[in-house]
Amino acid sequence: MNGNDRNTLIYRFVITLLVILAINFFLPRMMPGDPFSTLSSDIEGEDVIIMTEEQRQYFIHYYGMDLPLHEQFFLYLANMAKGDFGQSIYYKLPVTRVILLHLPWTILIVLSATAMSTIIGIIIGTISARNRKKGSDRFMMAGLIAFAEIPSFLLGIILLLIFSVQFRLFPLAGAITPFAHYTSLLDQVWDIAHHAFLPIITLSLAQLTGVYLLTRNTLITVSTKDYIRTAVAKGIGEKTVWTRHALRNALLPVVTRTGFMIGLMMGGAVLVETVFSYPGIGLTLRSAVVNRDYALIQGILLIVAVAILLCNLVVDRVYRQLDPRVTE
Amino acid sequence: MILLAVNDLKCQYHTDGHTVNAVDGVSFNIEPGEILGIVGESGSGKTTIAISIMRLLADSASVSGTVFFDGTDLALLPETELDKIRWKEIAIVFQNSLEVLNPVMTIADQVIEPMIRHGMVSVNEARARCADLFLLVGLDEAWMDVYPHQLSGGMRQRALLAMALACNPRLLILDEVTSALDAFTRKEIRDLLVDLQKTRGYSMIVISHDITFVSSLASRLLVLYAGRVVEAGLTRDILNGPRHPYTRGLVHATPDIFIYKDLWGIPGDSPVGDRHKGCPFNSRCTQSIDICRKNPPLLQPCGESREIACHRGGIAMLLKAEDLRFSYQLPDGKALHAVNGVNIEVYEGEVLSIVGQTGSGKSTLAHILAGIINPDKGSVRFMNGNVQGGTMGDHFKGVQIVFQDPFSSTSNRFTVLDAVREPLDINRIGSPEERLNMAREALELVRLPSTGMFLKKYCGELSGGQRQRVALARAVVMQPKLLIADEITSALDVSTAANVMRLLKGLQNRRGFAMISISHDLTLTLKIADRIAVLNDGKIVETGNAHDVMLTPSDEYTKRLVGSRIGLCCHEHTNGEHDFLRDESQHYPGDANV
Repeated sequence: MNGNDRNTLIYRFVITLLVILAINFFLPRMMPGDPFSTLSSDIEGEDVIIMTEEQRQYFIHYYGMDLPLHEQFFLYLANMAKGDFGQSIYYKLPVTRVILLHLPWTILIVLSATAMSTIIGIIIGTISARNRKKGSDRFMMAGLIAFAEIPSFLLGIILLLIFSVQFRLFPLAGAITPFAHYTSLLDQVWDIAHHAFLPIITLSLAQLTGVYLLTRNTLITVSTKDYIRTAVAKGIGEKTVWTRHALRNALLPVVTRTGFMIGLMMGGAVLVETVFSYPGIGLTLRSAVVNRDYALIQGILLIVAVAILLCNLVVDRVYRQLDPRVTE
Repeated sequence: MILLAVNDLKCQYHTDGHTVNAVDGVSFNIEPGEILGIVGESGSGKTTIAISIMRLLADSASVSGTVFFDGTDLALLPETELDKIRWKEIAIVFQNSLEVLNPVMTIADQVIEPMIRHGMVSVNEARARCADLFLLVGLDEAWMDVYPHQLSGGMRQRALLAMALACNPRLLILDEVTSALDAFTRKEIRDLLVDLQKTRGYSMIVISHDITFVSSLASRLLVLYAGRVVEAGLTRDILNGPRHPYTRGLVHATPDIFIYKDLWGIPGDSPVGDRHKGCPFNSRCTQSIDICRKNPPLLQPCGESREIACHRGGIAMLLKAEDLRFSYQLPDGKALHAVNGVNIEVYEGEVLSIVGQTGSGKSTLAHILAGIINPDKGSVRFMNGNVQGGTMGDHFKGVQIVFQDPFSSTSNRFTVLDAVREPLDINRIGSPEERLNMAREALELVRLPSTGMFLKKYCGELSGGQRQRVALARAVVMQPKLLIADEITSALDVSTAANVMRLLKGLQNRRGFAMISISHDLTLTLKIADRIAVLNDGKIVETGNAHDVMLTPSDEYTKRLVGSRIGLCCHEHTNGEHDFLRDESQHYPGDANV
């Protein structure tokens, strides 16, 4: 990559980021209501504070929301430039802190789910491709496609009902046991894994069919290529042909897909985290939206958008490493 | 001892409900150290043979027949056993394409892979051996660690060759190795292969549509058409005297062999797909008979180490003249032996040129062959009938002649339509309507207008070129099997002559009739002739393939003829032109007024 290309790439990123910032700013404000006119809370058992008009005006002024919209926007941009994400109205904490508190949980389940669905998807995709048109292939295809049609939140609820409610194998909510005192690090890790298991499974299952189908179909296409015939002719054995020659080539699109999926799953985590009351960034976003917590919505959306951008960048890099045909 | 024995190999591809017979009963043997060539046009099943030997066909293809390698039937081996033979014993240089090498592995990795797998070398030695192979095929070591897409076509071909040689196989299959190469590289690869065969004693199967390349390597040839072997034999025999009409077409369409001739391919396309009932070449053959449409011919021995699959036993003889003699009485009572003991044979679909200077007896011979004049002695037989009596011109599929001078061969007072229709009228062929249609078709064939205005024109109004075409149409309308063209361009200017000659050759090629072209113009003759017979003083002094006669004339007279005609333009020596002029004034005084 020469300097010119690098500059173009940076310009593109800056422009994309500006567009995202603008959308992040205006979109929440286009929703009806404001942070101080919430009349009821969706969260049960929470005290609902009904403010007087006077109090409301005071807060609006306090948070600078009585300024003209464009001034607010430029102020917001200026603060962003300084790395100041603002103050969460609901949590009464800096947005950065709120995000830092919840982001790790999301990253944990998203990355685990990605790794899990990708590895399992590739394995069963390969098995399916090698047994193409045989019973096992048809069965897996039909089963997984049907499975993919179940929405992830529904799947989550079903899993929750079966494994947590019925068999009491997994906790119903949360990321850790509240007020727990861990005796060892292993104990802590186990607790976290125990809580994260069902969300990870739900997210993985939602991704699995995509990876499986892509692996299977790419492998089938690749297996008809001339270089596979060359490899067979070399007498290197069926296993080597499939792994070193076929799979190595078939994985290229799978890698691309996986990279993009990480970013998209950050957004998709909202539903799954809600179902499992998992305190990740998705659940936080939901409450921020309900409470019209503008600064927090902006912050989370920005993090998600940046994550997607970063993933694209990483995929690009990784692909260059895997496929020598992509020009440097 | 036989290294590879392929017996009755049949391969079918099944796609969307229909079946393609890619290979249809092919058998051949290869001895150790032998180079066998397989030629045929694209789609003839060459590559399928190659990959089915190594059992590389897709699952959707079905294969039958046996392939014995060193006494083992490869079809019965389980995959694991087969893998021990693949590349170690039999390696293949695949047809060059970007897809044939793994795009995400370096060249060296791909060359080394089979070496290590087959236990040829240890991992540490592999790179050194790979470098040796690179050196052997003339590829710089620097290219070892690049990816296939970074190589040029020629380099990739060398890399493929290096890969095939990695395990020192006993049998090397080369599939279209030169199709993507320029002439220099092609020759280098050829020399390398010859060298490898000599030093390492590989057996090879060289598969290509490039008959020149295959012939330069292989001692034996199989000619493949639509998945069947149509002719097999020693390379030099097949090149010098192709016996199957298809082989002849292939050889004649090869510019490296017929360097002077214009390029004319075999008309039509090879049958694709469905099982053909009769001979697969039937639709393009010039000598097809009833049985050719019903049963496929079997490959049968004919002569020493030669096999041919043709119901007619190969290219059939059309006309045979034996010991023809004709003399003119001169006023002083002496006899001029214009034709003095001529033996001549004309085969189906070929162009035989009879060349000689003016007064050598060409036209007299032409008239005898057409049955217009009777010889004093000897006989002319045309498809088992006697030509004498002029009965060969009165029906379809007979003999027709076109004369030198169009102004006297067609009447000035005939309209174009009358002139073309006349032979049909005289011989009472068809209804008046049919005759009109046939005449129109004939005019279209010779690229003349076939509509009202032109049909009503009198022949006297036409130009020389047009009139010669009318004369041609007159002959073509009778759908001859043999057309005798007697100096038909000598009365025309250069450009018109060129047009008429190309038209005639095109017609001959498309309609598949045989032709005797009589000319004193050697250069023009070489553009169309398959064979040349040189006539001097009423005798045929030399006959042979056009290129042989041209390049290596054996008779003194032919040498002079060749020298006089071609010398003018080719000699760049200071005195070349003068030589020619002097020669001509000495030897050919008569030529000046032709």
